[in-house]
Amino acid sequence: MKELQVLWLPLAVVALAVVALLVDLMLPPPRAKQQPAPIVGWLVVFGLVSLLVGTFVYEPTGTAMHGAYRQSYFATYLQRLFLAAGLLGALGGLDDVQKRTPRRQGEFWLMLLSSLVGMTILPGARDLLLIIVAFELMGIPLYIMAAYSKTDAQPTGAGREPKGYAAEAGFKLYLVGATSSAITLFGLALLTGMQGTTKLDLLSQAPLTPLAALGLVFVLGGLGYKIGMVPFHMWVPDTYQGASTPFVAFLSVAPKAAGMSVLASIFLFGLGAQKDVWLPPLAIIAFLSMGVGNLLALPQTDLRRMLGYSGVAQMGYVLVGLAASDAYGLGMVLFFLTGYLFTNLGAFLVLHTTAEAGGGYGFESMSGLSRRSPPLALAMLMFLLSLAGIPFVIGFWAKLYVFLAAWRAGQVALVVSGIVLAVIGLFYYLRILRAAYMTDEGDLPTPKPAPALQLAIGLCFLAVVGLGLWPRGLVEASTRAGAELVAPVQAGQGAGHLTRR
Amino acid sequence: MNSHLLSIIVAAPAIAALFVMLTPQTAKLAIRVWSLIGATISFAGSLVAIRSYDTALGGLQRVEDYPLVPSMGVHLKLAVDGWGGPLLVLTGVILFAGVLASWTVKTRDREFFVLLLVLTAGVFGVFVSQDLLVFFLFYEIAVLPMYVLIGIWGSSHKVPPKGPFKFVWKLFDIGGKQYAAMKLTLMLLVGSAAIMAALFVMYLKAGGTTFDLGVLGATKYDRQTQIVVFPLVWLGFGTLAGVFPFHTWSPDGHASAPTAVSMLHAGVLMKLGAFGVMRIGMVILPEGARFWVPVVGAVAAINVLYGAFAAMSQTDLKYIIAYSSVSHMGIVMLGAATLTPAGWNGAVFQMVAHGIMTGLFFALVGLVYERAHTRAILKMGGFANVMPAVAAFFTLGCLSSLGLPGTAGFVSEFMVFLGAWKSGHYLWAIPGVLGAFVTAIYVLRATRTIFWGEGPSHDFHELSDPKKTEWGALVILGAGLVILGFWPRLILDYIEPGSVEHLGKVLAPVATLARLP
Repeated sequence: MKELQVLWLPLAVVALAVVALLVDLMLPPPRAKQQPAPIVGWLVVFGLVSLLVGTFVYEPTGTAMHGAYRQSYFATYLQRLFLAAGLLGALGGLDDVQKRTPRRQGEFWLMLLSSLVGMTILPGARDLLLIIVAFELMGIPLYIMAAYSKTDAQPTGAGREPKGYAAEAGFKLYLVGATSSAITLFGLALLTGMQGTTKLDLLSQAPLTPLAALGLVFVLGGLGYKIGMVPFHMWVPDTYQGASTPFVAFLSVAPKAAGMSVLASIFLFGLGAQKDVWLPPLAIIAFLSMGVGNLLALPQTDLRRMLGYSGVAQMGYVLVGLAASDAYGLGMVLFFLTGYLFTNLGAFLVLHTTAEAGGGYGFESMSGLSRRSPPLALAMLMFLLSLAGIPFVIGFWAKLYVFLAAWRAGQVALVVSGIVLAVIGLFYYLRILRAAYMTDEGDLPTPKPAPALQLAIGLCFLAVVGLGLWPRGLVEASTRAGAELVAPVQAGQGAGHLTRR
Repeated sequence: MNSHLLSIIVAAPAIAALFVMLTPQTAKLAIRVWSLIGATISFAGSLVAIRSYDTALGGLQRVEDYPLVPSMGVHLKLAVDGWGGPLLVLTGVILFAGVLASWTVKTRDREFFVLLLVLTAGVFGVFVSQDLLVFFLFYEIAVLPMYVLIGIWGSSHKVPPKGPFKFVWKLFDIGGKQYAAMKLTLMLLVGSAAIMAALFVMYLKAGGTTFDLGVLGATKYDRQTQIVVFPLVWLGFGTLAGVFPFHTWSPDGHASAPTAVSMLHAGVLMKLGAFGVMRIGMVILPEGARFWVPVVGAVAAINVLYGAFAAMSQTDLKYIIAYSSVSHMGIVMLGAATLTPAGWNGAVFQMVAHGIMTGLFFALVGLVYERAHTRAILKMGGFANVMPAVAAFFTLGCLSSLGLPGTAGFVSEFMVFLGAWKSGHYLWAIPGVLGAFVTAIYVLRATRTIFWGEGPSHDFHELSDPKKTEWGALVILGAGLVILGFWPRLILDYIEPGSVEHLGKVLAPVATLARLP
């Protein structure tokens, strides 16, 4: 019984998925030429809201499944994050799903919930087996969702889009995903074989053999695919370009946060003692991600691809925080991920709105947005400032904190290169703003987002601005969550470390 | 004494910006009135703050402390000190005059006033914040709206492509307002990146528990750290202060910016840079400062001369003023580098004096440009016959610029040169004085070309003296120049205890610092 209490959230998401499936099956088939209402979609939205509220009301802690799962504040924090991402993604996608695939809406929501089940298990998983199962549970529905709109009717306005991009997006995601899963599994096999356990708690008891270290590198690479870090980033822009934008909004934040939580679980929690082995490759990858992401985003002309590369760069910043490899750094990583969630989701949803209005996804789609729709332009302004890391929006604190944490832990070179690359990155964010605020060419219609979409963008906006003005509560929560996974360092240790250098 | 006055000063423009944002686009007058109310509250507040500052007591007064992120030691700590007071008033004056000067903005005026007010809120914040991170936050807020302000409301100044690098003109649209905006933003943000790195070191080496400027100032950083970090702060903030060779954004930026933005930028924002170098760099890293001052001073001397000579060869009115700003900011940095009470008093006084003077200049240039539709001085001539008041104010500004006794410019330049002479590097006074001499050449030549001589040619039809609100900016700023010139004690009484206090931290062991006669 205790175990069920600990596992209540993943189980509740499963239950919600089952209910959604049943409701979808029981709905009468829509008559011809009739637009079916997004009943299942709203059901999912309300379900996710109540679950999100539930996590604040009911916070059990403890272990389940013989220690393979542990519900701690770390897990709760991330679960709230995933639920929020799912909720915002659902709100943003309601209208799009109804338009693109009116006859099979239920499938989309089922896939979304299945993916969420995997995500909600991940941060609590303390066993490599459970981690990989949950990871695949999260990943496989995403392949389907990416290709979901395949050759169905395009939404109004975006008619210039050649058909079949979605299939390509899904296929690419699937191929890279399957390969990386294989790599991860191979790495895990080596690791478990050499360490003699699948339990994260016991993983670092034996010293790492060279073979196990090799396995570790494989694991890092395999997991890196999901978060789109550099050697495995090539699916990111293509998928972002091909799949339906509201889904991309979700894809660009939630699985990345989940991937980061797994990296933290395995490397910081499981193998924290062996950081000499994995820290150098992690630092290199962080540097490459920031560099490649920022530099390749510069020449992009499709805003989705640009945000894709920018996402690669942002994950580089997160890895910088992870490279701090202490509780403080992890707390800041969680803070960053939270900020990134609202920011990037919001940015993609605005992009979706402007594209729906008929402008496509190039810079010209933003043209004159500040005249056509001042609120949307203002929201986009805040999201982009946040991505660029400008003060008084959440992205500034996020970037500041991860850099500070990494600097504290002695990763000075990494932080300096990060700051420099972030300034380069500012250039392409400003280009979007320039299009929105300073050009007014063509005569594009005023974007009219659906109410649910408006709500989603509004919530993201409030979070980005509100938390930027008053980040205190979130910092405390994320620091606490980080300290639950990794034992906190003694006060002043980081500074002492720096002084010794 | 714990009122919320400083918060009100900082928040008033921001709140006014919010009101302006909520005002419908068509309510032209309401937009301006809201902006003016915000500006007035801040201006009045800053006057109250400086009047109630107890110079005998010195130090930080009116301390307000709100924990922002206590777990990291970030506090929204505001206080006014000897330096902050006069600079607050300067910002208040310039904002007030700037709102009046931009009364006639036509395109997208609502957004213009919103950004203007947000920017000023950031400037006020920098001058009163006593927490390094909050200081940096406000600094960024003050810097970034500039991009949009220049990009939208600026004016392009096409430069004919020539030389082997012709293709670069096409590539970057050199001379265009968006080029200027992007150049300014990117250069200043590279500076911010340097500041951020310095900020990390200062924070973590002091124990990583607080950003409080007082605590950081009391921390003894080891010599090597100071020597490494000081240049970061100097060049980081110095980029905004127009330190050679990182000044190149400023002529383009100022020339492209709309009137009120040029006023604020040259008048107040560049001071943020110098203020940052002195308040953060020199006070917190005294050993680094003492190590680097020969370089700082030498570069400042280059600034003074280079800016003056560059201004001499310009034919575009705004570029002349912009380069003269580079030259005059060199005087500020020169004063800072002397590490003497006279030099520091002069530096801060020059910030205020130059702020008012440049504000006046850019307001006048805006007026002239609006009526003449050109900024090429060679086409002008004899404008004094039809716009005598503008000519009079312009001449006043010029006289202050070249440091004529009786104007504010004289007081500051005199003190800076005095400080330079008294410091170990008396040779610095020579390029300084030479720079003032060259300044006299170019400002007087510009005045003569524009205003005196044969009456305006037939190309100009709309020339006239200022109307209604346009007078406001000119009168306030012009009066400021004369009053400060004849009665410098008005603000020097506040600046001096600040300088002495801060300098005491820089010069250890504390030398006996003579007060000014």
